[in-house]
Amino acid sequence: MLIWIVPIVIFVFYGQRIQLSITSGEIKKGIKKLEQYKTNSRNELIEYVKKNMNPKDDPTKKIDRFLDYFTIMPVDMDPNGIVAKVRHIVRAREDYSRDHVKSLSPQTSALELTKIQTLLEIATSLQMIYKVINHLYLTAKKQNNYPLILPLQMILPFIMEEAEAMHKAIPAFKTGQPIGDGIGPMVVGKMMLDTKKESIAFQTVLSETQYDGRKLFLLKAEGPGSTVGRPGDAVESIVSKNKPDVIIMVDAALKMEGEDSATVAQGFGAAIGGIGTERFQIEDIATKNNIPIFAIVIKQSVKEAITLMTKEIADKADNVRLQIYEMIHDNTKPGQSILLIGVGNTMGVPQ
Amino acid sequence: MFSKEKTILAYTVEKCPQCNLERKRKFKEGDFLFSETSKCDSCNGITVIEKIFGEPIEK
Repeated sequence: MLIWIVPIVIFVFYGQRIQLSITSGEIKKGIKKLEQYKTNSRNELIEYVKKNMNPKDDPTKKIDRFLDYFTIMPVDMDPNGIVAKVRHIVRAREDYSRDHVKSLSPQTSALELTKIQTLLEIATSLQMIYKVINHLYLTAKKQNNYPLILPLQMILPFIMEEAEAMHKAIPAFKTGQPIGDGIGPMVVGKMMLDTKKESIAFQTVLSETQYDGRKLFLLKAEGPGSTVGRPGDAVESIVSKNKPDVIIMVDAALKMEGEDSATVAQGFGAAIGGIGTERFQIEDIATKNNIPIFAIVIKQSVKEAITLMTKEIADKADNVRLQIYEMIHDNTKPGQSILLIGVGNTMGVPQ
Repeated sequence: MFSKEKTILAYTVEKCPQCNLERKRKFKEGDFLFSETSKCDSCNGITVIEKIFGEPIEK
């Protein structure tokens, strides 16, 4: 009888504490890994800056200060005009961090600068993830509060997947290799070869060509640096001068669990990720000018999107190009013009 | 839980635009897509980098 009652009493009074200690053991392992990612990314960034920028003074202190930069998003109680505010804050952050990185060694090339800025973004994100997860964990432990640790236990696998992907992306950015997200620029970049390129917006290039009696405007971020350009501003500028009849966007998209990697799908609407400001701008211009937007996406996981491009994705480039031409044939007539945008990070992909 | 960490090696595929001969080699720093690299082994064309990708190596 006592054998049955004692465990029941223990579980009634101490059940939550036992669960808390079991769960916190698992979470602790995850946090340790996050701390490792954070430290490694910081050290690799410092090492890379020392090796490739040759700064006069030790950059460690400055880099540590850059890593602590934070962004306060605008108040959204009144959402009217919030996109412009978000764009302003994000761009100011990008511009100032670029200037600050450049101040370490002003003679650094634009290509190196984009790589270092991306490495800094990775290290900052990993530091922020570690800080937030550690804060949630320590708060739950301090309060001895089991329900508080449950949401952390649920989101941790997703956070770990993203953190691991970011950590594994570092070598690709250091060596200038194309990443999975670069499939859009890779497809359009090849079509831009042997055409006259012009800078249409910050870190964004445009060229013109002909295809089967149609005028093609080709747009992508300026490679081979690590940048996504400013396609929103570029579309605004193009449409104000030469209104295209159709916009086609080629981008990488996150695949669902169970879906095969590197599958190509067609659809409607602006295929572009990020925080949404570029997409808003493109959708706004397309709506005001009544321009239909078509999309071709290449499915991949978070990890595949930000690490070295896989063979399966690279092999799909020709197929995507064929689908673009097919889409142009099916949806436009000779004499019309098409704006084709290769969306994504153009690391290692020139034009 | 039991999945092994795979090592990914970067490769560069060069293609000759004249004879379409493809050659796969290990990635070297400074390789960029569409850049001209070397003379083609079979004709006098200049090979161009067609693809750069990562492949897992079996241990």
